[in-house]
Amino acid sequence: MEASLYFLQQVINGLTIGSTYALIAIGYTMVYGIIGMINFAHGEIYMISTYVVFIVIAGLSMLGIDSTVFLMAAALLVAVIVASAHAFAVERVAYRPVRGSKRLIALISAIGMSIFLQNYILLAQGSRDKAIASLIPGGWQFGGDGFAVNLSYMQVIIFAVTLLSMTVLALFISRSRLGRACRACSQDRGMANLLGINTDLIISMTFVIGAALAAVAGLLLGMYYGVVNPYIGFLAGLKAFTAAVLGGIGSIPGAVLGGLILGVAEALTGAYLSTEYNDVVSFGLLILILLFRPWGILGKPEVEKI
Amino acid sequence: MKNMMHKSLLALAIGAGMTSLSAQAEITIGLAGPVTGPVAQYGDMQFIGAEMAIEQINAQGGVNGEMLKGVKYDDACEPKQAVAVANQIVNDGVQFVVGHLCSSATQPASDIYAEEGILMITPASTSPTITEAGYETVFRTIGRDDAQGPVAGRFIAEHIKPERMAIIHDKQQYGEGVATAVRDTVEEAGVNVVVFEGITAGQQNYSSLVSKLKRENVDFVYYGGYHPELGLILRQSKELGFDAQFMGPEGVGNPDISKIAGEASEGLLVTLPQAFETDPKNAELVAAFEAKNQDPSGPFVMPAYTAVQLMAEGMKATESTDPYEVAEYLHQNTFDTPIGEVKYDESGDLEEFNFVVYNWHADGTKSKADTGEAQSDAAQ
Repeated sequence: MEASLYFLQQVINGLTIGSTYALIAIGYTMVYGIIGMINFAHGEIYMISTYVVFIVIAGLSMLGIDSTVFLMAAALLVAVIVASAHAFAVERVAYRPVRGSKRLIALISAIGMSIFLQNYILLAQGSRDKAIASLIPGGWQFGGDGFAVNLSYMQVIIFAVTLLSMTVLALFISRSRLGRACRACSQDRGMANLLGINTDLIISMTFVIGAALAAVAGLLLGMYYGVVNPYIGFLAGLKAFTAAVLGGIGSIPGAVLGGLILGVAEALTGAYLSTEYNDVVSFGLLILILLFRPWGILGKPEVEKI
Repeated sequence: MKNMMHKSLLALAIGAGMTSLSAQAEITIGLAGPVTGPVAQYGDMQFIGAEMAIEQINAQGGVNGEMLKGVKYDDACEPKQAVAVANQIVNDGVQFVVGHLCSSATQPASDIYAEEGILMITPASTSPTITEAGYETVFRTIGRDDAQGPVAGRFIAEHIKPERMAIIHDKQQYGEGVATAVRDTVEEAGVNVVVFEGITAGQQNYSSLVSKLKRENVDFVYYGGYHPELGLILRQSKELGFDAQFMGPEGVGNPDISKIAGEASEGLLVTLPQAFETDPKNAELVAAFEAKNQDPSGPFVMPAYTAVQLMAEGMKATESTDPYEVAEYLHQNTFDTPIGEVKYDESGDLEEFNFVVYNWHADGTKSKADTGEAQSDAAQ
């Protein structure tokens, strides 16, 4: 009994981390799906949104507003706008000019952008950790003798919001006109262009959607951990990228699945082995997938187009 | 046109170089530590201490008729950058260094300084291996982990007597070093250590670790590392209903931990160097810091002040700026400094340096922990 409660607790912990990996992974996977490049600056967009969330919440609290729902909504709105603006600008400045050239050039441009964004926040905000108090403390506790499982309200919110965002995104991609244009671009950008789809617009939109989801992750994780510094984007981006590759890069359900698997694998490693091996397990998984199923769990093997 | 501009720039640069040459009546002291990075505030402590000493020594006429000048170098607490900084210091012709801060940065830098004959005094690095290399020009004005660890360990064994203890560290030289020293001390005293584990610094989610500690029924946790990670662990422990007593070394003793962990930082135990700023002998110096709106209570402020003072005294007494002569003088003499009487052993370690256990409070203040004997000065 105690052992299974403990297992349940660790799975809950893992699903919470996994959901946020998934939210960030979407940004990688969508951009890859459409223009075939890895946007390494995406982790920084998540970091920037977390800063925006902190600034908005701290600012509004200072004005005497204490309605949690309003604070969250305002923070989310501003974070989505700022993150989208950054992603849009990054694409225009760093990626569009090199789009026609070799893959490596775009990749280097992305890494450069990541370093730039990190340092620009470092200069503007300083390197010290910024912290906010938890807005939604508390949670449920169940179980009993031996081990009590804690499920905090924040964990439930993170999981629910992630599922909701994924459903909305899936509907948008499969049902809306713009979503159809997106799919067309990912299948054959040249042809889509010939058929009158504004591919530049679609690509910009992909970056904006990815950034908006990163902003959602920024809000949720910012409130859950309560701490931000200019370096959080790097590790988060790396893990999300791993999740995207694990699930099959280019596939949206794959990113979600990859994120959840990675999160649970990490939590269980910490639970039964040692926290020290967390990264060994996550990157070991990545290597295994790349060796035996390079297109990921839900991805499609790439057919060489002639 | 472009070429001409290059030439005139070159001329300017040469001119500037010459003026700095002619104004050579200055002794440069390199202040190496994190200006940026997650532990930059510890760097600030070191810088304000060293700069205050430089200012006061200059106000009294400098050293042997020459003024001291402090130049900051940023290692961001990274071993790689510390090596780059050390090479830059060598190239800049600097012969005296106060720094670095993080043990993992000080270690590789000290190899370079020793090879190039530069005198280095670290006011903050506590890892024993730094002075164990046996370099004659490497010193510190702080204690060692194998002094700090046992202080913490003895306190735990004598006053806490935990039933099931966990020791967590951040896998870095400083954190793991002090954690290992604590483990050795408490295990010798018969304390039952059930978990000894490392985490990845910079990570944010510790829920899996906290759940594990909770399941192991741990009632006391020692953390070796810095405040950003411990702050998150405390916060997530509260969230997950894990309420053991926590303790850490001086790397967690920073008001920021209270910002991160909030209420959860109340009652945290921290080993810190003695509070030098409360020593009546230092009242004048403390007033000087306060006049500049600086906080003298950081654990590395007074050690950094002392480091500069030692260099200046050595240079005055030997009437030279040769690092080897100054180092020899430091090894052979006893000095009266804000951190008390300083006497070095052969390896460049202080013969005596005390760590004291404090209780940390949620508002970022601290008070001496109750050890049964020092009750009178519990409130400060």
